[in-house]
Amino acid sequence: MTATSTIAFVLIVLTAMMILVFRDWRINAIALGVQYLAVFGLVTLSWPIGMAVVKLIVGWMATAAIALTCIRQLKVESPAESTSSLFFRAIAGILIILVIFVLSPRLQAAMFPQVELVIIQGGLMLIGMALMQLGTSSEAYLTIISLLSLLAGFEIIHAALELSTLLTGLLVITNLGLALVGVFFIVKASDKNEIPEAEELQ
Amino acid sequence: MTLSTPLLWVVFPIIMAGVCALFYRRKVLSLALAGLTALVLAVLGAFFPADLTLSIGPLTMVFSENLGILGRQISLSYEILPFLAFIYTLTSLWILSSALASVPTTFRPVSLVITALLTAAVGVEPFLYAALLIETVVLISIPILSPLSIPTRPGILRYLSLQTLAMPFLLLAGWLLTGVETLPPNSPLIGQTMLVLGLGFALLLGIFPFHSWVPMVSQHAHPVVMSFLMFILPTTILMFALNFLDRYTFLRESENIYQVLQFLGTTMIVSGGAWTAFEKDLKRAFGFSALTETGFSLLAIGLSQTGGLHWLMLLLPARALGFLLWGYTLTLIDDLAGSLQSQAIQGFAHRYPILSTGLLLAQLSIAGLPLLASFPTKIALLTAIFSPDSNYGVWVFLGSLGLFFFTIRLIAILVTPEDAENPIIWTVSEKPIEYVPIVIMVIALIILGLFPHIFPSGMMNILTSFSQLQ
Repeated sequence: MTATSTIAFVLIVLTAMMILVFRDWRINAIALGVQYLAVFGLVTLSWPIGMAVVKLIVGWMATAAIALTCIRQLKVESPAESTSSLFFRAIAGILIILVIFVLSPRLQAAMFPQVELVIIQGGLMLIGMALMQLGTSSEAYLTIISLLSLLAGFEIIHAALELSTLLTGLLVITNLGLALVGVFFIVKASDKNEIPEAEELQ
Repeated sequence: MTLSTPLLWVVFPIIMAGVCALFYRRKVLSLALAGLTALVLAVLGAFFPADLTLSIGPLTMVFSENLGILGRQISLSYEILPFLAFIYTLTSLWILSSALASVPTTFRPVSLVITALLTAAVGVEPFLYAALLIETVVLISIPILSPLSIPTRPGILRYLSLQTLAMPFLLLAGWLLTGVETLPPNSPLIGQTMLVLGLGFALLLGIFPFHSWVPMVSQHAHPVVMSFLMFILPTTILMFALNFLDRYTFLRESENIYQVLQFLGTTMIVSGGAWTAFEKDLKRAFGFSALTETGFSLLAIGLSQTGGLHWLMLLLPARALGFLLWGYTLTLIDDLAGSLQSQAIQGFAHRYPILSTGLLLAQLSIAGLPLLASFPTKIALLTAIFSPDSNYGVWVFLGSLGLFFFTIRLIAILVTPEDAENPIIWTVSEKPIEYVPIVIMVIALIILGLFPHIFPSGMMNILTSFSQLQ
């Protein structure tokens, strides 16, 4: 395991935990941006930098689209959360980390013997955390961030299995499409927030 | 520029959808553009010459069946053209039904893009890339399922999440399949591959236990949009699934896979039927019935060793017409009654008898009532499932009764006046422009029921593209 891959893996664990535990869009957007940097670090283990950088650029574009829409639309501060809910999600996140550390070597031996363990651990970490987030949140923008994380986790593993320009292109479309759907949901949510204010003015 | 079939059936409709989107506020123009495009492509699909050479006067155009993109290709051979004719015909009919006022204005261009992308999904090589095209379709469908004017409901998020989850499974299965063919039959990797592939398709098709989004989305989406998606998505995904079965010997020759499909199909029919029977919301009932129909498709594939695929091909047009009529009548009833809850439509048939009859006949046709479109195939499937395992047969029969039971309940609601002491006099309040399409669709359902082999004779040709499955 090289220094780059170790740093990338640690960053993935930290950012995935931040996205799972916190509900503030600012923290989540920053964590997502950093997460894509870590994903880029792990993808460079399998792909040439020229191809791997596509994942970074697309990830940052998706993050920027969501963050900029949040800045523009979400005028209301994120609601304060109880310590117990933060604590619950943190414990759930730690459990996922433990499970993935236990499962990854077995999965590597059974299905992906040619793939480095750190790649499998990094990918599964993102997938596991994203699934937990999807299961514990019903907010549209968190769902989109979780799905982007999930796809990023899958792309780390899949990059080690196959290199295809068309597949990379289609995954770019999927990631950007998801970000656009996220923007659509955020705009919808804020439009709904504004309706009562407009009615009040009348 | 070299002409190719993918250019005609994939690129051209996407370009036309773009043009149509520019005029989305001009209803008649966008309707004509989108509807004519789909209709022309349907006619071309039905009558395209086998040598792929099209002569119009002195002009002769030779089409190749491949279009290369970034080292991969989309291939639409002559054998698949009847299927394209079928889906483009139905798309044009759904586009026509979008003339109703409440249908989202973006439906026309989006439906055209959806059909074009699903056409590409059927023909893309390697065909596992279809998973990404289907995901793109899911993303594109979000604005028409949950337009800007209505709040985002949990159902739509669940739909997006589960459909997106399917894509990694299918891509992974595609990678696993490249090495599996050379393995011995008892290799554990074969079982793992089948599991990953099965999970991908279960998520895509909304198979139990991944089905919960269907009634949730159906409850809040526009009926025309929902009926279109519940027809075109499962139909194309099933074609995609048949590609896998046709291509890989270990899948095709596995006895277990057919038993699992029969079990899953029966489960879907029973659970969908039971939920439909006791549902109070007409839109949710449609969602549950769509699940039952997915169950019948799985059952037909599960019975493919005894001719199930032929019944599947016969079932598709009947289902499409039934869904079209169901979505159309639900839209009109929703517009007139203001709600599709059972208490809101009490006595509705007294004022709108043709509309109510249209809805009831659509449901009864899907349920498999004799003389209507789905009956010949449903009875054949029921007979076939009784022979290998009578337990499955009994459950399928009971599940099929769910929609009948719901329709009988609905008849009682529609004809019972709100105020029993002051019964309403029966009047025909529908305008001709509303009931003429209903009458035409009902006649088509009856013709399909009486002569099941007339219209779908071309449907059987679709099976020629699955050479190993026949």
